[in-house]
Amino acid sequence: MAPGKSRAQKNRPSLPRRTDKRIDALLSLLSENTTIVISGAQIAKEIGVRRQTVWRWIETLRAAGVKVKGHPRTGYHIERAADVLAPKLLARGLRGTPFAKHIFHFFKVDSTNTVAMRLGEEGEAHGTVVVAEEQTSGRGRAGHSWHSEKAAGIYVSILLQPQISPMLAPALTLVAGLAAYDAIAEGSGLLPDIRWPNDVLLKGKKVCGILTEMQTEPDRMHFAVVGIGINVNQSKMPGELASIATSMRMETGRAHSRLELLARLLWHLDRYYNQFIAEGAAPILRRFAEVSSYFEGKRVRISTSTDNFVGTTAGLEPMGILRVKRDDGKIESVISGTVAEAE
Amino acid sequence: MKRKAKKAGANHSRDSAPDLREVSKILEFMEQHSLDEFEYENGNVHIRLRKAQSHAAGAPFRAAHSVPEIVVAHPATVSSATPEQSGSTPEPIDENLHVIKSPIVGTFYSSPTPGADPFVRPGDHVDAGRVLCIIEAMKLMNEIEADVAGEVMRVFVENGQPVEYGEPLFAIHPSRKQ
Repeated sequence: MAPGKSRAQKNRPSLPRRTDKRIDALLSLLSENTTIVISGAQIAKEIGVRRQTVWRWIETLRAAGVKVKGHPRTGYHIERAADVLAPKLLARGLRGTPFAKHIFHFFKVDSTNTVAMRLGEEGEAHGTVVVAEEQTSGRGRAGHSWHSEKAAGIYVSILLQPQISPMLAPALTLVAGLAAYDAIAEGSGLLPDIRWPNDVLLKGKKVCGILTEMQTEPDRMHFAVVGIGINVNQSKMPGELASIATSMRMETGRAHSRLELLARLLWHLDRYYNQFIAEGAAPILRRFAEVSSYFEGKRVRISTSTDNFVGTTAGLEPMGILRVKRDDGKIESVISGTVAEAE
Repeated sequence: MKRKAKKAGANHSRDSAPDLREVSKILEFMEQHSLDEFEYENGNVHIRLRKAQSHAAGAPFRAAHSVPEIVVAHPATVSSATPEQSGSTPEPIDENLHVIKSPIVGTFYSSPTPGADPFVRPGDHVDAGRVLCIIEAMKLMNEIEADVAGEVMRVFVENGQPVEYGEPLFAIHPSRKQ
């Protein structure tokens, strides 16, 4: 039975409409011809819409932060490649990965994870990518929201269908964290850290958060959705987040290409994911040990739904569960909960 | 080996869960000593772990190197389907009830977000495919679905409690085919 077939009765609202493929084509056209002025009539002919529509869509792109010069009479051009996470532009950097073929782009969506879960139920392919310029209700763990300022960050969800036992699936969260770590390290030139299981930090503040959701039957995974939010070009964080969150721009003092960063992220995700599927969690755990200061010897406060204590991290169990040594010497296995650096 | 595994799995109301943390420790021990197989017996529980890489071709999972095969054999005298640690009433479960068990070790959440209404309550009718709860492990939120339609008779675990692999979560009285 195809995954999703039995879920037909589910009463969920219909999917929001993804970005029109012709807007994607328009962006590609402008990006491939930077500095060259293309007339509205020519664009209209190339992408197969009326000139009025071209004008309307140019306004859409401008609202999304693309610097399009010109007007209907003279024609249009952009001075440098647009930093919009549009499928055609993104797919160029993803050749050879399963992520190049099924990219769903939205200028604005409630939550990329919600859309990707829905696509998973409808039987979309492994490797489907859902990306948005803006989220109106980006989600984090335990009902937390994710601050998703328009065109400033990366808000992406990836649909995966690994043929593994659900028991092994939690290590996927480490896989995603390592991919984000490598992308952010390369993109920023800084040395990030990972707070177990997969918050990526720059100078102790959160720059990337990951929420993974999956649907399973007792012995079989249907699919998992890895949702990744990266703060890229925000110039400041809103009040309540300022002390705990940061952006790449705030730490490096310059703007970064989101398009390039997203391509790096997905490329590393493909690499770590394939390694996990082929060799299991062991190499993933070894890499985590290399890059995370939280792996061992870190003083942490652990808050779970039933407990709250301070201890010292003492490595990971074979499936990736964090071990924390209490001050009385007892080792706790932390399966879920909040990990914070303790003074 | 295969036959044995099937036997233990077929009787849904009888096989209780191995403690995954124990299994993890054994796995670590096996790793340290480069063991491919491990057998353990204690009272009613008999655990045998064998690394899938020592299998012939055609291992069931692609992540073959990390998949231990777990066989839990119970003598016929074990009759309760509810592990003691769940803390629920020890009354035996009606043979006609369909028990939904946890596929992973994690934390049980009865509602989508803290403070929200639970996904289901005893007495609710659910269709197959309906989300019943979330089990969280390492920030992976696992939506557990009903695999049969019927009435929710019991919820075995309280919100926020840890659950083991294979631990019963819900009992559902399957409805007759409409």
